[in-house]
Amino acid sequence: MNSIKSVNAVEPMQVDVSEENENAEEEPYIVENPTLDIETYTSSYHGMAKLSRLMFIADHCPSLRIETLKMAIAAVQETYNVTLYQQLHRKLQEAISGLTPAQIQALELPSYDVAWAESKMKKAALKLEKLDTDLKNYKANSIKESIRRGHDDLGDHYLDYGDMSNALKCYSRARDYCTSSKHVIHMCLNVIKVSVYLQNWSHVLSYVNKAESTPDFAESSNSKDGGQALVTHLQCAAGLAELATKKYKCAARHFLQANIDHCDLPELLSPSNVAVFGGLCALATYDRAELQKHVISSSSFKLFLELEPQLRDIIHKFYESKYASCLKLLEEMKDNLLLDMYLAPHVPALYTKIRNRALIQYFSPYMSADMRRMAEAFNTSVAALEDELMQLILDGQIQARIDSHNKILFAKDADQRSSTFEKSLNLGEEFKRRTRLLVIRAAVLRNQIHVKSSPRDSGGQTTEVAIPSSSGSSPRN
Amino acid sequence: MASSLEHFVNSVRNLSGEGSWRELYEFLGKSPDVLMRNSEHLDTVLDTLDPQQHSLGVLAIYMVKFMILNQSAIQNQGILVPEPEILINQVSQFITVCNGEQIRCAPDSFAELCNQFTQCLVEQEMPARGIVPLSKAIRKARMNETQLTSIHANLLQLCLMAQNLKPALEFLNVEISEINSENGYFDAKHFLLYYYYGGVINMACKNFDRALYSFEVALTTPSSAVSHIMLESYKKYILVSLILHGKVAPLPKYTSQVVNRLLKPMSAIYHEITTVFATNKPSSLELVLQKHRDVLQRENNWGLAKQVQQSLYKKIIQRLTQTFLTLSLSDMALRVQLPNVMEAEKLVLTMIEDGDIYASISQKDGMVLFHDNPDKYDSTSTVERVQKEVNICIELDMQVQKMEEAICTNPVFVKKASGAIDEDDGGRSSATSALQGAATKVPSFSM
Repeated sequence: MNSIKSVNAVEPMQVDVSEENENAEEEPYIVENPTLDIETYTSSYHGMAKLSRLMFIADHCPSLRIETLKMAIAAVQETYNVTLYQQLHRKLQEAISGLTPAQIQALELPSYDVAWAESKMKKAALKLEKLDTDLKNYKANSIKESIRRGHDDLGDHYLDYGDMSNALKCYSRARDYCTSSKHVIHMCLNVIKVSVYLQNWSHVLSYVNKAESTPDFAESSNSKDGGQALVTHLQCAAGLAELATKKYKCAARHFLQANIDHCDLPELLSPSNVAVFGGLCALATYDRAELQKHVISSSSFKLFLELEPQLRDIIHKFYESKYASCLKLLEEMKDNLLLDMYLAPHVPALYTKIRNRALIQYFSPYMSADMRRMAEAFNTSVAALEDELMQLILDGQIQARIDSHNKILFAKDADQRSSTFEKSLNLGEEFKRRTRLLVIRAAVLRNQIHVKSSPRDSGGQTTEVAIPSSSGSSPRN
Repeated sequence: MASSLEHFVNSVRNLSGEGSWRELYEFLGKSPDVLMRNSEHLDTVLDTLDPQQHSLGVLAIYMVKFMILNQSAIQNQGILVPEPEILINQVSQFITVCNGEQIRCAPDSFAELCNQFTQCLVEQEMPARGIVPLSKAIRKARMNETQLTSIHANLLQLCLMAQNLKPALEFLNVEISEINSENGYFDAKHFLLYYYYGGVINMACKNFDRALYSFEVALTTPSSAVSHIMLESYKKYILVSLILHGKVAPLPKYTSQVVNRLLKPMSAIYHEITTVFATNKPSSLELVLQKHRDVLQRENNWGLAKQVQQSLYKKIIQRLTQTFLTLSLSDMALRVQLPNVMEAEKLVLTMIEDGDIYASISQKDGMVLFHDNPDKYDSTSTVERVQKEVNICIELDMQVQKMEEAICTNPVFVKKASGAIDEDDGGRSSATSALQGAATKVPSFSM
């Protein structure tokens, strides 16, 4: 058939195509009244995880801003990350710009320690050089094990220094020198760690799969404690990745498989994190049977829920259909959840899902329901409820009709017979349409109808593109 | 020279008498110069030749006359320029009486003649006079009812200009399954024009379904360059799709890449209208339409745009029928963003009468009650309808099967197919495997 030539008769117009970011910019929001105790919250984290969480809270919560920045500065002085130190100080200056000198005195802020910054940078550079030369020596000696360890050390150092992409590169290079499955797993865990910091979720998932498919993994995971910890680690990382990519059901499944005794991951998540993420995702996506089996009666997850009694109450109330109190408690938790770095962008979506599930579950046993009582049960006005229900009906999640006059919701089952007739008639029309298009297209191809741009030398077969002469005089209303 | 003209007339007479149309056609291909030079005698020649017996000869003469008409004054020095009015009459007469068999041997000249005829009529602004002759011309030029010729496009153009659409509908309602290549005269332009005009005519007659279908055919023509006709078809396709279905269905996979790469950026306004339509807010749609009013009017799509606005209201009300059993009129006015209750009532009333929704209005309560589709599909008319539809579908299916058989038994195809198999692996040469193996070579009409 005619090949598509790349010669175009008309210059394509310059169009402003707005690039859509894959990670959509979230609008900056402010959380006013969190009831979070920062000390306990961040005590379960270590290193970069702690720092990124503190920075997140500082960005989004003005009341706690100065405190968190102070803590962050203290934490960062234990690492080599000088750029972050400078950044934090700058933020601190911004934060205190509105306060009087007396108040500033009272806060006892650390001052910018130039000496520390310079010495750390020098030390970091020295260490980097040393590690580099070490690595070169090892490579010259071609001892696989030491090369691998050298790469690992270099990666660790970069991580400490705050240079994530280089850290990732070093850890990935170690892959070629792994000789046993334990090494492979170790390498995978490192890559996963850095990918989480970089928020490169597809990487996280692929490396989790890689770790799980190493030959000795199955063995080690059943045998001893180290194996269990490994499984938990991988499940938490996978769950986090699925959460970030909005696959809430998969995320819930991963989190629910974590084991609390081995959930010691100060560089990734705390056990209460796992509880909250897992619980919320499950509540938003699991139906009653799954919720009962995997969350409420699950022995392992119960221990997690003990860490977050509020969440446990919410789940139980939901299961017992006490929607008003359940939703009220959810609202109370909302502020705190908005301060969590990984969960914050998903809070509105999860909450809507949970609310929709509650509405559907509420209505499912009834043929007709009084909307006034329903609105009371859900803490909302009848008009707002009507809107919500309309959306659910249009999405096909509830089969019902609203009687707006008497404010009653009637369940409605579809008439199978009529819909079958309708569908078959429509399908007939569709078939006829497509077949006719097919026949015409066959004729077109047979006669080699093709719109070409006219060649420069006016040969025999020019098909000059022409503006239709009289398209304008057709009558219209 | 008179003698060459005499020679011309004699040849025409002899060859026509013998019925050797091939030779006559070739001879006529060489004669335009002779005829041009002797333009003042052309009328006498016309008198000597009988349009029915010597249709081909007469055809050639008229072609020359049109050529003269189209030439500039400088070139026409010393040549008698025919009067357009008289020429039009003569050609109309000719088309009515000419011999179909002879015409079909010279399809390209005949098509060209009709084209020139149409152009002349358009220039003289007398489109209505050409409708009947061209209808006759099509009937004579086509081999069977479902064949498309370039004259179809000319006829549609005249019908549109004259705003006399019934004759056009007669031809449009026939499903095309073949194209008459007219010895190479038929061109992508004629194809596109036929379907574009066809779409416009169907739109004017409110057959939005057929219009959408025509535009889709125009848009899926293979192409490697941008055609203005396709661009206009695309814009109208979007608007008609919005009116009919409330959304723009994606074009089939076999649409050429030109549409995606080049046509889409050129119709940014229409895409904007589509996105605003999807938000179900009539006020925003109104704003967007007003913003682009100039462009829309320039492109002759303003009327369509207004209809799109109407259909947005209808779409919103249809959504309401799916979710509510009863709704107060004031509520409805709010939801549909109509200015007051009276408007809402009027709109619902129109829709009920048009059969777009099933409802009843209770003025006492100011309520609208929505019902389900009362058609329970349990009457004899349903059975008849289903039966008829099934028969049509079976017929269509048989037609496609016949087409497939024609390809499979085509010797060129079989040779290619078996040739390919032999190359790949020498073992299998059974007919079925040849056909299967070559199935990939048949252009796949992926839907």
